[in-house]
Amino acid sequence: MMLGELALAGLVALAFGVGSYYATGAFGAFGVVNVASGGLALAAAAVLALRGWRGFGSPDARRVLTPPLLGLCAALAGSVALERIADARDWRFDLTFERRYELAPAMHELLTSRGGDVRATLFCEQGDPRCRSTRILLETLASASGGRLAWEREELADEPESADRFGITTSNTVVLERGERFAKVERPSEGSLYEAIQRLVAEPAGFLYVARGEGEGDLRRTDDVGYSGFAAALETEGYRLRDLVLAATDEIPADASALLLLAPERELRADAFAALRRWLDGGGRLVVCLDPGQRSGIEALLAEWGLDVPDRLVVDPASGPVAGDPTGVNPIVHQFADHPVARGLGETRMVFFRGARPVIPARKPQADDDLRAVAFSSRRAWLAASGAVADGARPPERPADAAEDYQPLAATGRYPRVGSEARIVAFGDCDFAANRNLRGLYNQDLALNAVHWATERTERITLRPKALPPHQFPLTPQETLRMLYGVGLLVPELLLVAGGLAWLRRRSG
Amino acid sequence: MIPLRALVRKELASLFGSPLAYLTLTGVALVTALIFFDHLRVYNQILFLYSSTSLGGFDADAIPDFVNLRDQVFLPVMETLGLTLIGLVPLVTMRVFAEERARQTDELLQTTLLSPTEIVLGKFAATFVFVALLLLASFVYPAASILRAGLGLEHLAAVYLGLFVLGLALASIGLACSALTASQLVAAVSAYAVAFVFYDFSWATTFTGETLGPLLDALSLHPRFGRFSEGVVRVADLVYFAGYAVVAFAVARLSLEQARVR
Repeated sequence: MMLGELALAGLVALAFGVGSYYATGAFGAFGVVNVASGGLALAAAAVLALRGWRGFGSPDARRVLTPPLLGLCAALAGSVALERIADARDWRFDLTFERRYELAPAMHELLTSRGGDVRATLFCEQGDPRCRSTRILLETLASASGGRLAWEREELADEPESADRFGITTSNTVVLERGERFAKVERPSEGSLYEAIQRLVAEPAGFLYVARGEGEGDLRRTDDVGYSGFAAALETEGYRLRDLVLAATDEIPADASALLLLAPERELRADAFAALRRWLDGGGRLVVCLDPGQRSGIEALLAEWGLDVPDRLVVDPASGPVAGDPTGVNPIVHQFADHPVARGLGETRMVFFRGARPVIPARKPQADDDLRAVAFSSRRAWLAASGAVADGARPPERPADAAEDYQPLAATGRYPRVGSEARIVAFGDCDFAANRNLRGLYNQDLALNAVHWATERTERITLRPKALPPHQFPLTPQETLRMLYGVGLLVPELLLVAGGLAWLRRRSG
Repeated sequence: MIPLRALVRKELASLFGSPLAYLTLTGVALVTALIFFDHLRVYNQILFLYSSTSLGGFDADAIPDFVNLRDQVFLPVMETLGLTLIGLVPLVTMRVFAEERARQTDELLQTTLLSPTEIVLGKFAATFVFVALLLLASFVYPAASILRAGLGLEHLAAVYLGLFVLGLALASIGLACSALTASQLVAAVSAYAVAFVFYDFSWATTFTGETLGPLLDALSLHPRFGRFSEGVVRVADLVYFAGYAVVAFAVARLSLEQARVR
């Protein structure tokens, strides 16, 4: 048999053998026989070719062929070397619509300064397309961590014991392990992985006491108006939460890193106020939010510390209707003071409130105290009566004498005293941290960063990665069809006409 | 430089002198239009289903995470177009060197002012220009749809960059195979065989075991190409695909010099 025929038969057999693998995902007898016989035929053809090759026979041939042969070797070696260098440097460009693989600063900080010795395992079923993007995300995390996070991929079908141990029920699940602890992430995104890693590496951050008993927001409630999401986020950041029934206590516990007061609906007892005053005088930390229309007596306590919270409703016409409420009653906030609580927030990173009252830093109790408003409405905002939108249908109308101005919606106070420093963060709305609103815009960051500032964990203040919207809605079906006819089919039609005309002209010419 | 430009022009004229070039352009544009439309339509229908109130509206948690433009449209379109390129590019490249050798016009070419390097460069350049035109023709409709929808073009550009570098790698394989033989049939079949073998080396682990898996994975076209569909462009992947062109160029040049020696 001639060399050419042998090579051709070998190539055809090899192509069909490998092609059968691509088609079925496995090598059957057909594939194995074809690959083996193709390989043998090619090897035989190569031997014949080498035996018959006299390319280097003469000095002239050597002189001519040596440079291109060296060139081929250099091309191979150079390509491999360059690829390896580029791979080691991991230069990459994220061109996704939502910049999916550009890590948030918080993730960088977590990976490089706190996230050591974390092992990630991606469990996938074969052919699951979601695993490809998760794999790239994990590669990105591993690369950014500088060796502090390692990852591997496992076939779910090959690891039934791991699946049982970690309770894995679906493909594209990531298990993060650190020492004996592990966390499971079933919808891996930068945000969900951040929270899981955070839970693994978080150091205990002290006790947060949460006031209960006077109609406050409920951290155990999981529906829209509950605060279970806020509680989970606080625990992810390392805080341990404890209830405190103010009606049944005369002292705020000494181990409290801070006290959370989430919109109490009823008047607090005098003993509770006395306990709060003593505690703040001794350097206590209070995070409080008050909804419009509520009178619990906390307003008077805040006033003693220089913060006025008049029972009015901030109406900001610059904010559009949110969640079906009239325009202006749910301020979308993009004006922030230069303050740690609002670090990173601004015109592109906003928060929104669901009906807010003003929080005004009115007077300093002592000269060294530092009172600051941190979040503002737009300058078109004005103050209405707190029940102005009781009917919930129409936006309140601004009376002629109501002045428009920036309205402070959150404020902080630092009160240095001998041997201690009290801190207060007050919000004119509590719903912004409720389950239905917490993950909206940057609400969660504002709420968590306020607690971090109050407990002097300012190094933890950051903007956390966001969960990505899993859908994009490009065109309606009608528009899609119009684009197909207008462009999609028109281009090949024109190409065919142009090609046909050119070819006919050449033939006739 | 002027003779080189003349060679590129001659190669392009030769390519477009046959109906195959236009049929290839039309075929790729048509396949793109039909599969892009089909996937976009299905994707829209799924979203409409999930947007109905009975399924909870556009609540982020109600929509499965695989329902997104990337997984439902870009990824399958890119996979199908990649396979279309494997099928079509060797048909374009098979004649580039082999035809000249069969007609013995390669000897005539060697008597011109062009060096062997320039001859190979000219033929590679013309083929690469054709691959670029091929993808440009298929890019128009998806790009127009994405722009009309107000979504960024960057991700689609990454997808097409992946297709372009895959096309260059396939063209390089085809050109190298064409340079090694005087038969267009052998050139096309060997290009298919090499492309199939290199497309995804996972088949080889059946024979080599899992230990060589990572190495074979690094050599495969498909995993590299797949990253582009995710919207990620890695310089290492670009270098990898460029490596095919450089090595194929060196092979073609060696083959030309060898023919000269004979």
